[in-house]
Amino acid sequence: MKKSIFIVLIFSILLTVSCNTDETCTQTKYVKLTAGFYHPYFNDTTKVLTVTSLHIDSLTVQGIKYDTLTHKYHLIDSLLYNNNKTKLSSIDLPLNNFATQSMFRFTLNSVVDTVTIYHTYFNNYLSLECGCTVLHSIDTVITTHHYIDSVQIKFRDVNTISVENLRIYNHDYTRK
Amino acid sequence: MIRIKLKNKTKTPTMRRIIVSIISMLLCLAVNTAVSQKKKIIIPPDSTKLFNGFTVQLDVASLASSALTNSSTYSTEGALQIDLKHRIFPTLEFGVAGANKTTTDNVGYKTNGMFERIGVDFNLRKRKKDAKPTNNLFIAGIRIGMSNFNYNVTNIVIPENYWGTGDPINYLDQSTTKIWYEIVVGVQVEVFKNFYMGWSIRDKNLISSDVTGTVAPWYIPGFGLNNGTSWGLNYTLGYHFWPQKKNVKHNKVLLNQQNININKK
Repeated sequence: MKKSIFIVLIFSILLTVSCNTDETCTQTKYVKLTAGFYHPYFNDTTKVLTVTSLHIDSLTVQGIKYDTLTHKYHLIDSLLYNNNKTKLSSIDLPLNNFATQSMFRFTLNSVVDTVTIYHTYFNNYLSLECGCTVLHSIDTVITTHHYIDSVQIKFRDVNTISVENLRIYNHDYTRK
Repeated sequence: MIRIKLKNKTKTPTMRRIIVSIISMLLCLAVNTAVSQKKKIIIPPDSTKLFNGFTVQLDVASLASSALTNSSTYSTEGALQIDLKHRIFPTLEFGVAGANKTTTDNVGYKTNGMFERIGVDFNLRKRKKDAKPTNNLFIAGIRIGMSNFNYNVTNIVIPENYWGTGDPINYLDQSTTKIWYEIVVGVQVEVFKNFYMGWSIRDKNLISSDVTGTVAPWYIPGFGLNNGTSWGLNYTLGYHFWPQKKNVKHNKVLLNQQNININKK
């Protein structure tokens, strides 16, 4: 009787010890804004506007940060994109996790434009193992119009789901 | 018509004898069956009272695991188990549990809280007619558990991205109430007089789930890790207060008296 009691006690302790928790985070934490490039084409004869995907030959993207001490904007040293080899039709951009404004300097086929995205941000708690992610919601997008004609917001919520948030249209040079 | 015929026939002395003998045989049969029925009835009567005392228990499995393992959680619990007819055991469990956890990313979780469980166990062990009364139990039961507690999640660092890093986030004095149910199976053995040892396995299931994005607790006192479902193992030591005196001798005397009466008849 005593033996069986001891066996059960040892078994219970071993079972409790063996129940270790796994500390690895299996959830995706990569939050990104996806922007696609498009070319609008208006056919004067048929009076139909068609939009096709645009592949940029040369693209450079760089962040512009507002310095609260000097009250000036300055370019961030590292480049987000520096592409001359492959043609890109869409890009992923990180939004600022600690400000309501993210500004980017686009160099599209040697033409420079500045895109400013106004957004809200909030912390999204996942778990003790995964910590937090910062999610965003796009309010408005302002752009200069050297190469870019307009920017359309397709999906306001910026999170870990892979969707096209913005559509960047270039000028329709065929139109007079 | 039959009655008339019988009446006419009973007038003869031979027929009378036959009828009398048949009636006497029937009477004998009736008596025999009555005696045999009485014999069947003679089983030890269930003399267990409704209230058969109560057992105070201490869970040593949680104490041992907290002390022996380098665990970031601890738990101490006890129980009060009322014995009704030695079949139904209303049970109240209560305890204190907590966690002080730091992940590999230095995120901290700290909580201390009390918990209560209320439920009932049923003794599934049936007593055989000729077996001696025993206090060893094979139990199955259910519990409803509840814990209202505060917790802190500290030092959450937002991963550095292109724009830089921010200050660590702290969620302090988060408060929640969690309710769950448990299915319990186990055994209890009387190792010494009124001294019980037993173990039970529990399948725990949270009734309410956390909304995505809210700062959910990592550990729930009395439930365990906040994974929706959890397993628990209790190893209890208990002392039975106010036990009912066993009426084995009384039952035996009663049984013998009934047998003597039948033999006399």
